[in-house]
Amino acid sequence: MVPVQWYLLLGTAVFCIGLFGILTRKNALLFLMSVELMLNAANINLVAFSAYWGNVTGQTFSLFTMALAAAEVAVGIGIILVLYRNFDDVDVTLATGMRW
Amino acid sequence: MVGAFDYAPAIVLLPFLSFLVALAGGKYLPKGGAFGGIAATAGSLVLSAWVFLTVSAGNAYNETLYTWVAGAGEETTRLTFGLLLDPLAAMMLLIVSLVALLVHVFSLGYMNDEGETGLPRYYAGLGLFTASMLGFVVADNLLMAFMFFELVGLCSYLLIGFWFRDSGPPSAAKKAFLVTRFGDYFFLVGVVAVFATFGTAKFAGEGAFPVIAEEALNGAAEVTTFGFAPETWFTILGLLILGGVIGKSAQFPLHTWLPDAMEGPTPVSALIHAATMVAAGVYLVARMYGFYLLSPTALAIIALVGGFTALFAATMGVVKQELKQVLAYSTISQYGYMMLALGTGGYVAAVFHLTTHAIFKALLFLGAGSVIIAMHHNENMWDMGGLKEKMPVTYWTFLSGSLALAGIVPFAGFWSKDEVLFEALIHGFGTLGTGEVGMLGGIYLLAYAMGLLAVFFTGFYTFRMLYLTFHRDARTETAEDPEPVRWNVKGPLAVLGIGAATIGLINMKPVAELTGAHIDFLHKWLLGPEEGGWPALTSTGLHHYEELLHDAAHVTAGYPLGETTTLLVSALVSLSLAVAGALVARSLYGGPDPVEHTDRLGGVKTVLMHNYYQDEYQVWLAQGVTVPLARAADKFDQGVVDGVVNGISSVSLFTGSRFRRIQSGLVTNYAALMTISLVLLLVVFVVFGGVVN
Repeated sequence: MVPVQWYLLLGTAVFCIGLFGILTRKNALLFLMSVELMLNAANINLVAFSAYWGNVTGQTFSLFTMALAAAEVAVGIGIILVLYRNFDDVDVTLATGMRW
Repeated sequence: MVGAFDYAPAIVLLPFLSFLVALAGGKYLPKGGAFGGIAATAGSLVLSAWVFLTVSAGNAYNETLYTWVAGAGEETTRLTFGLLLDPLAAMMLLIVSLVALLVHVFSLGYMNDEGETGLPRYYAGLGLFTASMLGFVVADNLLMAFMFFELVGLCSYLLIGFWFRDSGPPSAAKKAFLVTRFGDYFFLVGVVAVFATFGTAKFAGEGAFPVIAEEALNGAAEVTTFGFAPETWFTILGLLILGGVIGKSAQFPLHTWLPDAMEGPTPVSALIHAATMVAAGVYLVARMYGFYLLSPTALAIIALVGGFTALFAATMGVVKQELKQVLAYSTISQYGYMMLALGTGGYVAAVFHLTTHAIFKALLFLGAGSVIIAMHHNENMWDMGGLKEKMPVTYWTFLSGSLALAGIVPFAGFWSKDEVLFEALIHGFGTLGTGEVGMLGGIYLLAYAMGLLAVFFTGFYTFRMLYLTFHRDARTETAEDPEPVRWNVKGPLAVLGIGAATIGLINMKPVAELTGAHIDFLHKWLLGPEEGGWPALTSTGLHHYEELLHDAAHVTAGYPLGETTTLLVSALVSLSLAVAGALVARSLYGGPDPVEHTDRLGGVKTVLMHNYYQDEYQVWLAQGVTVPLARAADKFDQGVVDGVVNGISSVSLFTGSRFRRIQSGLVTNYAALMTISLVLLLVVFVVFGGVVN
């Protein structure tokens, strides 16, 4: 059995990759993907701890999170479509109207 | 059984109804709503007479009708409306509604026949004026009285400024309102202080504030006196309320509004001077007389103010050229007499003079109104003359009023003014050198002396006015051919003319003393139906006042020449002074070509014509002292207070203007900020072990 630390390391790595994507990319679609990565990092942790404690609650929870992620993607895609319609691009640095 | 007292609220409500009718529908009604007002005041008069008869039968009424603020619990302060109908109120109701009715009728001649515009506004004002004065008269507590007191002031403002398109009336109206407001300010403080001290403001009955005050002085009750001795505190309360009285009753130094108030229509002047507004102040002192009697100091001040005002105003009346101005100063002077009477313990005398004055002053003003109609609104007496033959009704009634004002036997003013002076004299002698306030007797005698001297001036200016207006030859073309007046002017004049000649008969004290006949009806009436007085209202009965005068104020009567002789000598002295004044006026102004003898007074005349520079110094007080003070206060407010507030807010503004720059609109920056914050939070948790106690 793989020790739980490895799973945590994997989760952290995936989360950091997602964070890096959000902080560095300009493309809104990549943003969406990065957010998915961060969500799934959390899922990995849930499943790992669930297996570690021998309790299925965490795994059930991660199923819900996946469903939620799907819904979130639908919203995200909607926003991206509107972004594209307004700016002819999916570059998030163009939409800076909401500033002081 | 349904009696007069059940209908008593209607006395107040009827004129109020006529106010509403004239206001809402006056322009669709004939005569601008005048008939509604006449009907309403006639109704009030009938009901007042009914109340008067019921009170005469030995009944009295003192009930709370409506509580509009009630605190929680049993012993809390309640703010109420109620009626107090005792002899004083019943009598005043009769006077007010009678004068109001006659003024309404007279207005038909003075306003409608002269083709004035804005009549609905005028009659609405008259209705509200009458209603508020009647409400003031029946008020059973100080707060209700204060409310109606203010309403009276408001109505005087509206009516004095009736001709608002001219320049004079609006400014006179503002002056009347502001000067009386200045006094009312002290009154309001006094009302609040009375509530704070006694928890009630009722005038009469169990638990009324004069009763509690009396018990507090005897040690039978405890009241909050804010660290003062009870006597001192009650004096302060009395003087605060007296502020409102001095403003409304035009006593020195707040009398300056009254001569200017002559800018209003003459019937309004009659109403203001005879029955409402000015009478309200004196009535208030009489209403809470049981309270003032507890404070000899307040009594002394009232007497001194009254006596001084009587003399002071009479001297100014001597040089005036306009008919109504002379009458205005005579009003101030006569109310001074009433204050003198109240201050010296002459309760009956004050009420008596209030009654007779209401009749003959209403008469004189309506007579003056008749003359003014005839003279096409020229009020200068030097342009008149010779009106005696052309307007006999006005002349004879005016003569009756003048004799009453001057105090010539047997007209009304003689009896009442004589009684005022007599009371001042005997109480002055009786208190001289005794009592707790050692000065009291001396002050009374000083006030008496001033009152006595004023009798001479009164006789003089009254007959100067009479001779200049009516006698000898006409001095202008208008006076040659005066405009005739109709029944609606002559009718009220006739009623009041007979009244002025006969109303004094209700209390002929000298005759009663001489013959031993009990014809001092007013005295007996105020005293009550039988020995022991008014049982239900012992706290406002005359018996009670006489006891208080002796026990609390330590004022006793003293007769330097024996009772009957003193009375006769006092009457003779005041009568001969009045006659002397009249004769001097006759010799100076009764000749064929009267000239302004007052010119010989030189500098004194200038001072008198300028009313002792009272207006000037009050304007200086306002402009030279109050305005700079207000400006300095404004500067402090704008500079220091607002400066501190603005300084504090500018810090927020500055930091806000800097911090808002993080709102760049770039989603990446927000994400970075969130990440950094999260990392910082984690670092903090790690460093402090995750638990912050």
